[in-house]
Amino acid sequence: MQTYLIAAYIIAWLGVCIYLVVLAMRMRGVRTELAAVAELVREQLEQKEQ
Amino acid sequence: MALAKQISQTTDGHVVGGQRLARRRWPLVSVILGVLTALTMSLSIWLIFVYTPIDALQGETQRILYFHVPTAWAGMLSFVIMAGLGIIYLFKPDERLDWLARASAEVGVVFLTITLILGATWGKPIWGAWWVWDARLTATLILWFMYVGYLMLRSYMGRTVESARGGAVIGIIGAIDVPIIYLSVNWWRGQHPVTQIGTQGALPPQAVLTIMVALVAFTLLYAFMMVQAYQLQRLQTLAQRLRIQVE
Amino acid sequence: MRMTRVFCLQIWAILWKDIRYELRSKQTWLGMGMFALLVLVIFNFTFDLHPDTVAAIAPGALWVAFIFASLLGLGRTVAAEREQTSLDRLLLTPVDRKAIYLAKLLGNLLFIGVVEIVALPVFAILFNLPIWQGSTLLTLILIVILGALGIASVGTLFSVLAAATQARELLLPILVFPLVVPVVISAVRATSVVLVPSVNEPPWLSLLLAFDVIFLSASTLLFQYVIED
Repeated sequence: MQTYLIAAYIIAWLGVCIYLVVLAMRMRGVRTELAAVAELVREQLEQKEQ
Repeated sequence: MALAKQISQTTDGHVVGGQRLARRRWPLVSVILGVLTALTMSLSIWLIFVYTPIDALQGETQRILYFHVPTAWAGMLSFVIMAGLGIIYLFKPDERLDWLARASAEVGVVFLTITLILGATWGKPIWGAWWVWDARLTATLILWFMYVGYLMLRSYMGRTVESARGGAVIGIIGAIDVPIIYLSVNWWRGQHPVTQIGTQGALPPQAVLTIMVALVAFTLLYAFMMVQAYQLQRLQTLAQRLRIQVE
Repeated sequence: MRMTRVFCLQIWAILWKDIRYELRSKQTWLGMGMFALLVLVIFNFTFDLHPDTVAAIAPGALWVAFIFASLLGLGRTVAAEREQTSLDRLLLTPVDRKAIYLAKLLGNLLFIGVVEIVALPVFAILFNLPIWQGSTLLTLILIVILGALGIASVGTLFSVLAAATQARELLLPILVFPLVVPVVISAVRATSVVLVPSVNEPPWLSLLLAFDVIFLSASTLLFQYVIED
């Protein structure tokens, strides 16, 4: 009886935590990408001004 | 030259605005929601494992329901939100609505997956089977498939207006469909299975309190995840738009 | 009055264009028919049918065959038009989007219906089913047409959506199968009630009709948002 309870709670918390970690990783990825692209845009603009 | 100026304005607006928003405004909301979630979640865990008496009939296993019901609620709520946002989007196209709908689908599929697994682990000791094809379970499973189909379609179509419209259409058709599925499975089975949960009179007051706190905790968790997922959608769209400008 | 006539004429023009195209190519409906028959043959082996079990399994076998076959046909709704970029030209014409939807739906329904009505007698022969009395046969044909309408109304809408992606063959069933569950349930049950009359069944045929009306009206209203550029 108790094994099912323990298994259920482990699965639930694991699910929530894995999703949060995945979200954080995707967020970090997109932030890095955003910074890189912003740098590219800045360089391009500088070239145009020259 | 005018074009370059315009680009510089928009990109500066995007980059600076985006980074500022990303650093300041959202984390405050996230922090508040996160703290609230952590507090209510700890409270509800204490309530579940210490405060509530052991169920006379179902024993320890019954405690699964204190998580199962709130995750199911969050999954259904996010579907309703997705469908509602879809309707609004078709009348008043705004990409923020679409980001929110997509975030809702993503969080919803996580919650519904947990719901289904928890339901199975509860059903095995109580019903003697991992799965029963009753109306409630079937409708939830179909809803899960709709979420997955929605997310697959969205990821294949990319971040376009057509993709957002298609998502809205799926949300609306799905919202019409889920009650029909529930009813038709009920008729198909020929009998209404006895509701094991939700019969409030049978539950002791401690259990009702516990389940209410758990509902609040999971709604807060849902809101927290929604803020994060929405933020992710927004930043992804922003990054993609900037890259198009560079190319 | 004149509006309605123009609307019907528009539907007919698009439908007739599609019919001529399909008659010329033949590949879709021949393929669908062969596919439906092959599924029935496979079912015969997987379930090892006996005369006493056949009435319980046959409706399910029939509808699985029909659903898979109709999805093959639905995938073709606008695929050819997307490949030859004539969809844009169709959208440029001053035609109501509802007319485009209804024409596409009628085209799909026609091909699915023809394939299914041809497959039905073959199915009855292969499985030794007693369907040859007039009223039974008519009811079965009605169920088949209503079931096809339910699948086609949702399927037409989503095939246009799925056609916009690279993976339309994969996406179409994933989107359509969950949504047509009510239609499938009521069609299968209605078929089994016809084959083996039983008491205390809900009015499946009316339910099927109601589901068709709901799906048809929702899809007709929503189609314009799927196809607009």
